[in-house]
Amino acid sequence: MNKKSWHILTLATALTFSGVFGADFEKVSDKKLFNGETLSEYKLPNGLKVLLIPRHEAKVLTFQTWFDIGSLDEKMDQKLKKTGLAHLFEHMMFRGTDKYPDGKFDEITSRIGSDKQNATTYFYRTNYYESIPSNQLKKLIELESDRMANLKLDAALLDKEKGAVVGELRRALDNPGRLAWDELNRTVFEVAPFRYTVLGTEEEIKGFTLEEAQYFYKTFYSPNNATVIVVGDTEESELLPLIVKYYGDMKSQEIPRYQMPEEPSQKKERRVEKKHPQATSDILLVGYRIPPVNSPSIVPLSLLSTHLSTGMESRLRKTLVDTGIAVSASCGVSNVPDYLEFSVSLAEKHRAEEAIEIIDREVSLLKSQTIKKEEFERALNQELLSLYGMIEDNSSMANMLGDYLMVSGNYLRGFEIIEEFKKLKPQDLKEAAKNFLKKESRSVVIVRPQSKTSSKG
Amino acid sequence: MLRIIFCFLLIASSVFSKTKTSFRAEPATENGVPVSPKVFYEKNPSALTTTLSVIVMTGSVDDPVEKSGLSNIVAEMVLRGTKKRSRQKFQSELERMGGALSAVVTQDTIQFSGGVIKENTQKFIALLEEALLHPAFTEKDFQELKREILNDILHVKNSNNRLGGLAARREIFKGTPLERPVIGSQSTIEKISLSDVLRKYNDYFDRPKIIFAAASPFPESEMISDFARIWRQFPDGAKPPKRAVKLQIPEKPTLIVIHKPKTSTGSLFFAQGGITAQDPDRYTLKTGNFSFGGEPLVSRLFKTIRGELGWTYAIGSSYASLGGVSNQQGLFSISSTPSVEYTSKTIFKTLEMWKSYLESGLSGDELDLAKDSLINSYPFEFETAEKRVSQKLTSYLYNIPILSPEEFSETIGGINNKKLKSVLKEKHNTQSWLIALVADKDVVAKDLEEFQKDIPQEKRLTISKVYTPDELVN
Repeated sequence: MNKKSWHILTLATALTFSGVFGADFEKVSDKKLFNGETLSEYKLPNGLKVLLIPRHEAKVLTFQTWFDIGSLDEKMDQKLKKTGLAHLFEHMMFRGTDKYPDGKFDEITSRIGSDKQNATTYFYRTNYYESIPSNQLKKLIELESDRMANLKLDAALLDKEKGAVVGELRRALDNPGRLAWDELNRTVFEVAPFRYTVLGTEEEIKGFTLEEAQYFYKTFYSPNNATVIVVGDTEESELLPLIVKYYGDMKSQEIPRYQMPEEPSQKKERRVEKKHPQATSDILLVGYRIPPVNSPSIVPLSLLSTHLSTGMESRLRKTLVDTGIAVSASCGVSNVPDYLEFSVSLAEKHRAEEAIEIIDREVSLLKSQTIKKEEFERALNQELLSLYGMIEDNSSMANMLGDYLMVSGNYLRGFEIIEEFKKLKPQDLKEAAKNFLKKESRSVVIVRPQSKTSSKG
Repeated sequence: MLRIIFCFLLIASSVFSKTKTSFRAEPATENGVPVSPKVFYEKNPSALTTTLSVIVMTGSVDDPVEKSGLSNIVAEMVLRGTKKRSRQKFQSELERMGGALSAVVTQDTIQFSGGVIKENTQKFIALLEEALLHPAFTEKDFQELKREILNDILHVKNSNNRLGGLAARREIFKGTPLERPVIGSQSTIEKISLSDVLRKYNDYFDRPKIIFAAASPFPESEMISDFARIWRQFPDGAKPPKRAVKLQIPEKPTLIVIHKPKTSTGSLFFAQGGITAQDPDRYTLKTGNFSFGGEPLVSRLFKTIRGELGWTYAIGSSYASLGGVSNQQGLFSISSTPSVEYTSKTIFKTLEMWKSYLESGLSGDELDLAKDSLINSYPFEFETAEKRVSQKLTSYLYNIPILSPEEFSETIGGINNKKLKSVLKEKHNTQSWLIALVADKDVVAKDLEEFQKDIPQEKRLTISKVYTPDELVN
């Protein structure tokens, strides 16, 4: 059967029988994106979600699998109550099945010409990604579905992988910036599991058992906890039959959902100071608690952060870097964990307190004065430039969709925020600053070189 | 220093091409004299942005040894205001229109690269034109820039990976302009004056040294016309000389340590002489290296030292570790980050695996894997308009034109282990290694002694030199 007639048949089947007779898949929606592309969403009866943007500029595509599981869940899981397994497990996903033993997944994906193949774990999700020549789609789907359903967990391989993960952890701990970020999460959150690092501790990593890994796999790696995102040289008529064939028989299962402990409201500024033997100058992080990504308040806060930190004309660049006080200074909205974060690497001989003073002055100005029209336009157009550049790349587009889906439940949230930017007025940024950039709701972390004497800020 | 959003990167894997002159945009000439610039262009009708680069064919290899970092300062100064607009006015107009520009300096190029939302392409090009042709070069901006660069240089002490590379440079390129990174060092930056900057700009920003590259939704003719207008305003000059410096690699494994107390992982950097971009054996060596250490997850080094032994998180090898110069012999390097208790083990295991690779090459499976992967992933080299422009640009700058997929497949497909072993024997050896290790020197010394306790003293690997991070940034 040629591709075209298959396409018609598949569509007809889906439209007629979906959800009624347990059909192959349901087409949930077609959405027209602002750049003219169509984003289609599908769902299999077992709950697997599929997002597709066809692009035919080159004979390549990006294939990503996102699992709604990260380090937060494992800490809240009553059987585990530890962190580090979600990440260690991500490594184990490359360690083989009966059909494709250890090493074969990497070997075959490499052989078929995969580019940018890897995986990442964060607080709220784990993702696996490859870009491949489009004529290798079938093989890749076979491999990805096989490890999702048939991973063979082996105690000896688990032990070997622990060594690499401990190496990764130690490398991270040698980085003073990493210590500062971990410390910020521990300071902003008193009870929520953001307090615990994604990588876990060396003791936790070394202590994970095969049984725990098996429990984790069985519990969280099911089709109804996963989303496949494909951007590139394929069409529904090719992709969906393959997805149905290779993922369709997997069984959905109940995914435990945990109630995040309610974080007590913050009444006063928290400040923590640490030292790090590898630091050569002060590092400053300041986190202001903000609402979650689906809140309308995120829109002005995001543009406000762009105003403060994007471009050579940004306020932080001008007041901290151009003045020689800092080597770099940035500000950005973090979603899950939710805070607006200032990050400053001080120049040698300058202290974090100087940067805090400048940040305070800038925040105070934002609250008392409306930013100029040209500054507002600058921030908006820099956002557009960044978005346009990002979505031209298959991987970046897929990343954007996946990350917003995991963090907000809405894969289009990133595009919505950009559209909502266009409705903002400079006054809205002032209001956002007044409402959320309050000293009493912020946490300050300073990491200093070991040799420097500390001082109270 | 600057946030780089758009840049036509010179492709490090530019070894994948052979002598052929397709795809080259030769300028029009009259009586043998070019009357239009070299332009590399790709139209992308669906693009929402225009991206472009102006490349000036001079870089850090042309800087005086005692003034390393001069090219980088010139590049940055060009974007710090014009005769008509202050730095602040220039940047705010650029950013307000949805544009971004940055300067990237390599050993032999200065690249001004940027992007803009497509509606403002003309305004963006006009601003770029003003910057390139009428930079302000004020003393105030110059002093501010020097201060920023000095801060950046000092900050490198925070990065163990970069410190290893700095130490290797010091040894391998000693006494040459490549001894220091393109950004320079504290001592060399302090020696640079504004008149040096002006002289460099006047000496090198001329028609024969300037080329253009762009990708946009607009017709090629429109972009070429804009570029030609800019190009014609530059003075005439000489074609850039081809410069190269000689590598100074020790004859036997030599360990230098960059002392960083209390590290829990080391940053390990092995360097040996590599190849030029045009080396006729580049395909064979790159293919071999793919399965030896070049490709994460499947290479021999990764599978053994990380996968089997679990000694390091990252490990890999490359022929382009410190960036390429068009006719300069590069380095072959192996990098890893072993946990501190595995440092000596990783050093000796790496040397052992290198020896085995040199003697036996690859297994049939390993070679097939490398060939299949390289051939099948070749379409990614042309995936986007920006990548296609990068290919053309790299091809021109390195004089190694682009292969069609069929030619590439044929070239890689023809490589066999006999050929690989012969080329490895010709280009490499088991002894000539400079090993730079960022770690606690006392811990390393003790670990080495313990590991080599059964080896006669004269045959042991010992620390031959210790750098402090402060020395490396000075």
